[in-house]
Amino acid sequence: MRFLPHTNRDRISMLESMNMDSMSDLFTDIPREFHLEEGDLNLPDALSEAGIVRKFTQAAEKNSHMGHHHCFLGGGTYDHFVPAVVDYVISRGEFLTAYTPYQPEISQGTLQTLFEFQTMIARLTGMDVSNASMYEAATATAEAALMARRITRKSKVIMAASVNPRYRAVTQNYLSRLPGEYVEVNMDGFATNVDKLIAGIDETTACVIVQYPDFYGSVYDLAALRAACDTAKCLMVIAFSDPTAFALIQSPGECGADIAVGSGQSLGIPMGFGGPHLGLLTCKQKYVRQMPGRVCGMTTDADGKRGFVLTLATREQHIRREKATSNICSNQGLMCTAAATYMTLMGDESLKTVATRSAAALHRLVSQLPKHVQAAQGARFHETVLSFENQQKRDLFLLEARKQDIFAGIPLEQLDDTMDARHLLVATTEMIEDADIQKYLTALEVIA
Amino acid sequence: MSQTSYSAVSGIQHEEALLFEHAHEAAKSISLPGVEGDISPELQAFSRQEAAQIPGLSEPETVRHFVRMSQWNHSIETGFYPLGSCTMKYNPRVNEQVVRLPGLADIHPDQPIDSVQGVLELLYELQTWLCELAGFSDITLQPAAGAQGEITGLMMIRACLDARGEQHRKKVLVPDSAHGTNPASAALCGMHCVALKSRPDGRIDLDELKKHLDGDVAALMMTNPNTAGAFESDIKEICQLVHDAGGLVYGDGANLNALVGVARPGDMGIDCLHINVHKTFSTPHGGGGPGAGPVVVNEILAPYLPVPRIVKEGDVYRIETHDEQSCGTVLGSLGQVGVLLRAHAYIAAFGRNHLHKIAQDAVLNANYVLHRLKGAYHVPFEGLCKHECLLTDEYQNKHGVKTLDIAKQLIDLGFHPMTIYFPLIVHGAMLIEPTETESKTTLDSFCDAMLDIAAQCEAGDTQVLHDAPVKPFRRRLDETQAARKPVLVWQK
Repeated sequence: MRFLPHTNRDRISMLESMNMDSMSDLFTDIPREFHLEEGDLNLPDALSEAGIVRKFTQAAEKNSHMGHHHCFLGGGTYDHFVPAVVDYVISRGEFLTAYTPYQPEISQGTLQTLFEFQTMIARLTGMDVSNASMYEAATATAEAALMARRITRKSKVIMAASVNPRYRAVTQNYLSRLPGEYVEVNMDGFATNVDKLIAGIDETTACVIVQYPDFYGSVYDLAALRAACDTAKCLMVIAFSDPTAFALIQSPGECGADIAVGSGQSLGIPMGFGGPHLGLLTCKQKYVRQMPGRVCGMTTDADGKRGFVLTLATREQHIRREKATSNICSNQGLMCTAAATYMTLMGDESLKTVATRSAAALHRLVSQLPKHVQAAQGARFHETVLSFENQQKRDLFLLEARKQDIFAGIPLEQLDDTMDARHLLVATTEMIEDADIQKYLTALEVIA
Repeated sequence: MSQTSYSAVSGIQHEEALLFEHAHEAAKSISLPGVEGDISPELQAFSRQEAAQIPGLSEPETVRHFVRMSQWNHSIETGFYPLGSCTMKYNPRVNEQVVRLPGLADIHPDQPIDSVQGVLELLYELQTWLCELAGFSDITLQPAAGAQGEITGLMMIRACLDARGEQHRKKVLVPDSAHGTNPASAALCGMHCVALKSRPDGRIDLDELKKHLDGDVAALMMTNPNTAGAFESDIKEICQLVHDAGGLVYGDGANLNALVGVARPGDMGIDCLHINVHKTFSTPHGGGGPGAGPVVVNEILAPYLPVPRIVKEGDVYRIETHDEQSCGTVLGSLGQVGVLLRAHAYIAAFGRNHLHKIAQDAVLNANYVLHRLKGAYHVPFEGLCKHECLLTDEYQNKHGVKTLDIAKQLIDLGFHPMTIYFPLIVHGAMLIEPTETESKTTLDSFCDAMLDIAAQCEAGDTQVLHDAPVKPFRRRLDETQAARKPVLVWQK
């Protein structure tokens, strides 16, 4: 077996050194009745390396990928350009095959990268600090709600229904076995109505969670909500699904967020059918000791040289056990490295180009829509909702678009079953060219 | 010019400034596609006022920056990594190649279902394999990590007990040797933990267990082999006792590498088990993640699996998003798909004919290391170990040397230290897990290093141990300072 270095002679000599006759002598502590015989398992025979490549290639060919298709799909996962350097850096064995940096002297590569990642994420989101990442956006949102409860020692969590339904589902689920209220506030017009949220705040409220830009791509003013949270001494939590937005529009920090969480997938990470992605968690400096997850800090070594370590471990479960701030004990380390590499390559200027072109593509599409398709009103970043007369027309259009190799949008009811089946959630990125928009518009003619 | 203005540290290793300290305005070399047009006037009203201050480097500078930093890392590709409980084994390169196929990497999770049948087929097949090799009937691939597998398993146990009308059962029994995530996960699930004191041989004490088994018990969470590397030989009786008391048994699959292909936790009475595919099935640790923690369950818990689930109807795969009995949704996607696909490739490479060799060689290597070191180091629990062996610093304490010193000296000798000070049930723990992908030459070299350290202690030649490490890029780092005044972002 190609991954096992021992020869049979090695095995025999090692067994003999321990006065053992066979491999089964190593397993006498497992009761006999549980021992499997060779071949007991109903698994296929081993594949050669060539066989694995062939099998995966054939499976991959059954999928339609974005090398051949134009992606107008969003909903939390976006088809942004990933420079080749990003995958090169995360393919290096020293990053790829390293463990969590618990021995800092021989993990400074991972640690300095994490420190740079934290700094860039804090700057992009306009927040004071970032942790060293969460699994992904939905669990990060749930952790933000728990964090707000710890900080305020209040229990009610108010969630705007214009937050991604998956973030809501996971948050609701995480909170459902714990004491305290969880309330979702319905919205209208594929946008976020801040007044409705403010009306729900009371003295028991720990936080209000909004998404910005919201699930429908709407960008809106949060000043009134910030003021209401100050009055009620509760936290404003902002969730986001594409942080490239904040190279262009007001950041969560500028909007006054206490905690901002979301997905970092757009920062150089392939869509990969949903994972692994990157969860981000940022907050104000004064809340760092209530943050969940790993965090990297700067310090000095025995010679006084600058170095980095994982820190604030007293929040974590291996020390605090059931009183820990979270049960999370890993991060998305390699995805942080990818995001750090991506942001380093891009800088302010190219990040802003990504955001601007993503938004410009949407504007160009929406401003040319035929009368029989309605786009949601108000400011949108790079995502919006298109509404059709009925499901039949929408689905006819989707089929026509598929013929042109366009994935034209996500039927909204697939993500949120309270919705009528006549809407599409549509997103654009810098990967969408003028010609793709023209094709999209042409496909719409089929239902004219 | 003074010496310090050059970056070379030793030979080919270099100092590398923080990105933010690279002084010059770098030329931008990214060319981007897309629409060069106006954004909407409505959006313009929300423009960011001050730039984020992401510096940006040219492509050659970016590559050099990160490659230099990479060279400060120990990794499984560059050296031995005997971290107990972490299963740091070789990560096959072919797995990296296949997950990067555009048809697997460049697909959106909400594409039409008929356009993603290939990836669903691979994931579904992985589901059947994991159930088969662990001895269970059903599975969720959703949990993003082992710790999330724990909370997911407990959510299912909660849902099952609630369906039985036993909402009052909230006590989770956890051996005192357990991973710290176990009690943290229980707390997150609205349950509370009671620690079970281990027997003198490190195993679960049946009398102690019986004492705590009452009508409030929801579950026992156990790791088998346990965190001391010992197999819980009373496993069948343990599970029976818990079941008789109306509770369920959660298995922490962190140590599945000791059993894979040799025995199945599901056959032993465990009701559900998370599988750390980044351990047993060799997906790269990536400096802390991503991992994946699928949970396998028996028929009792299967109705409560999370949604979404992959369902096969005839030859067609679809995704089921609704189920009244489900414990809910635990992640915003089907799982850490790229990680799961690597695990698929790893299992495929072994197949039915070789899978048991993983556990056999892993257990052989751990016992061999134990055998070579047991005279020189204190062995708290006698007998066979499984995939990892536990030592302590008791003999070295007499010479003023602690586990931490031994660990740091190993760094100077070219090895990553073992897991230290875990499990908590012994003083000065050193938990060594060699895995099956290390050669006898590497094991002997590591054992020689450990024996040299023990001999240095006996000879009273201990200063070098206290000073270690002196060879790596940085020496011992001040963790107290880091925690007292945390500096988490760069400021000039």
